[in-house]
Amino acid sequence: MMRDITLGQYYPVDSPIHRLDPRTKIILIFLYIIAVFLVPNLLMYIPVAAYLVLAAGLAKLPFSMLLRSLKPMRILLIITFVLNLFFATGTKKLLQIGGFVLWQEGLLTALTFSFRLILLVTGSSILTLTTSPVTLTDGLERLASPLKVIKFPAHEMAMMMTIALRFIPTLIEEADKIIKAQTARGADFETGNLMARARAMIPLLVPLFISAFRRAGDLAMAMEARCYRGGEGRTRLHKLAYGRGDLLAFLSILVLYAVILSTRML
Amino acid sequence: MPIVLEKLSHHYKSGPNTAVALEDIDLTIQDGELLALIGHTGSGKSTLAQHLNGLLEPTSGRVLLNGEDINQKGANRRALRFKVGLVFQYPEHQLFEETVYKDIAFGPKNMGLAEEEIDARVRGAMDRVGLEFEEMKDRSPFELSGGQMRRVALAGVLAMQPAVLVLDEPTAGLDPRARDYLLQDVKRLNEEGTTVVLISHAMDEVARLATRVAVLAHGKLVMEGPTAEIFVQQERLAQMGLDVPEAFKLALRLQQEGLNLGNHYRLSDIADGLAAAIKGGDTA
Ligand SMILES: Nc1ncnc2c1ncn2[C@@H]1O[C@H](COP(=O)(O)OP(=O)(O)OP(=O)(O)O)[C@@H](O)[C@H]1O
Ligand SMILES: [Mg+2]
Repeated sequence: MMRDITLGQYYPVDSPIHRLDPRTKIILIFLYIIAVFLVPNLLMYIPVAAYLVLAAGLAKLPFSMLLRSLKPMRILLIITFVLNLFFATGTKKLLQIGGFVLWQEGLLTALTFSFRLILLVTGSSILTLTTSPVTLTDGLERLASPLKVIKFPAHEMAMMMTIALRFIPTLIEEADKIIKAQTARGADFETGNLMARARAMIPLLVPLFISAFRRAGDLAMAMEARCYRGGEGRTRLHKLAYGRGDLLAFLSILVLYAVILSTRML
Repeated sequence: MPIVLEKLSHHYKSGPNTAVALEDIDLTIQDGELLALIGHTGSGKSTLAQHLNGLLEPTSGRVLLNGEDINQKGANRRALRFKVGLVFQYPEHQLFEETVYKDIAFGPKNMGLAEEEIDARVRGAMDRVGLEFEEMKDRSPFELSGGQMRRVALAGVLAMQPAVLVLDEPTAGLDPRARDYLLQDVKRLNEEGTTVVLISHAMDEVARLATRVAVLAHGKLVMEGPTAEIFVQQERLAQMGLDVPEAFKLALRLQQEGLNLGNHYRLSDIADGLAAAIKGGDTA
């Protein structure tokens, strides 16, 4: 059950997408998200989806990985779909069951919002699946560093994110181990009503929090022991540099924009 | 209730990679024995242990308890876990209750036992691991020392009174006294009829306690037999990055010096042999 969380989990293979500069990928994801919102009608989701599939293919990500990133969102997806379906009003009736009227507009908005959500989530998960957490935050820090002029703590933010991301797999592993240990004592995490299940989480959450705090303490100590004192004057091990792939990537998103915008104009 | 592993294999999948943790293991755990499971780091010991109570499902092969496949459809996994108790590596990290008493009672409570029975079991388990009941029962498990926490965790499993007890490196990180104490407990339990599977890196510990030893290397069962027969194969063990007990090394040195006491692997046996040899020398 713990293995379902894809967000923040790096999928380590070598691919053209993996090799892109993290800054490129972050900017691209932003542009991609805007593109998703710019899509004027259902039909135009096809080029966006194609773009996504192309990126996933180039990144050598199995389809199942993308599906898995949607799994935690499934409830939100269903709610979005159902709410839009039944609470929109319009002009063209498609179906009427008793007091319920299904409008064509309702169906269209429901589909639009659901596709939008799916494309947004899978798109962002491609970023985290193809970029190691350290590289990702490196990219973020570099992108945000101009903001240091207005006292924005770019380095501290990046460090916090690196640490948080770094510990996600550790915590998952830890949770897995604790679940097993409590299961061995007859704990039951999977059956019962909501209250029973919530209560069943206590034997998992208490040890997990304790170990997280212990780790945080240890880490702070270890960082201080190695004289960490913030970003001022710190040099980097890996210098970021743009390459030819990055140029191609930017061009590709331009093409996507051209396609979407051209239909908007028409 | 004997546990039989039949052609047991386990592969871990993580992202694009598959790691073969166990391959074609055939092993029987007899009633009442104290089987030691040894092997280098990453050889698959913990993985094997988690198959014994159904926490992991085999990729292929079967685990039989009393002749019944524990992973077949409809098998009662929870009941199984009360029969085969598993104490994980660093079990103190699983403590969660406000008091020692409540934490140890967690297992028996899950078994659905009556209040008096739970109470009796908690007392019994605490007594067994050397925790003073009145003094310890209301303390928070988190303010105890590492060794005490380990004992609370062990008591938490013992309170379920499993017929088979699997211990994954129970003495790792304990000081010598806490270690001896814990091993005493394990030995006593075994003498009273509990089947024990002991995973350990400490060869002296294994030599002292185990009746039989199974050696894992890279996920395969490479050696298996009575303790004495395993430890005489010093060179093979060394090849796998394993050591032999200190006592055995001593016996070997003595042999090189011309005093043959046989292949002893227990310090006490060597002491006896030496004493006999010295006395024999005196009278001759
Ligand atoms: N949850 C997991 N996911 C992926 N691989 C794993 C997992 N747990 C263990 N492994 C791998 O399986 C192999 C066997 O691991 P296992 O923990 O059983 O070894 P071990 O003999 O208990 O080692 P140790 O002496 O260090 O405790 C190792 O190569 C390990 O990397
Ligand atoms: Mg282990």
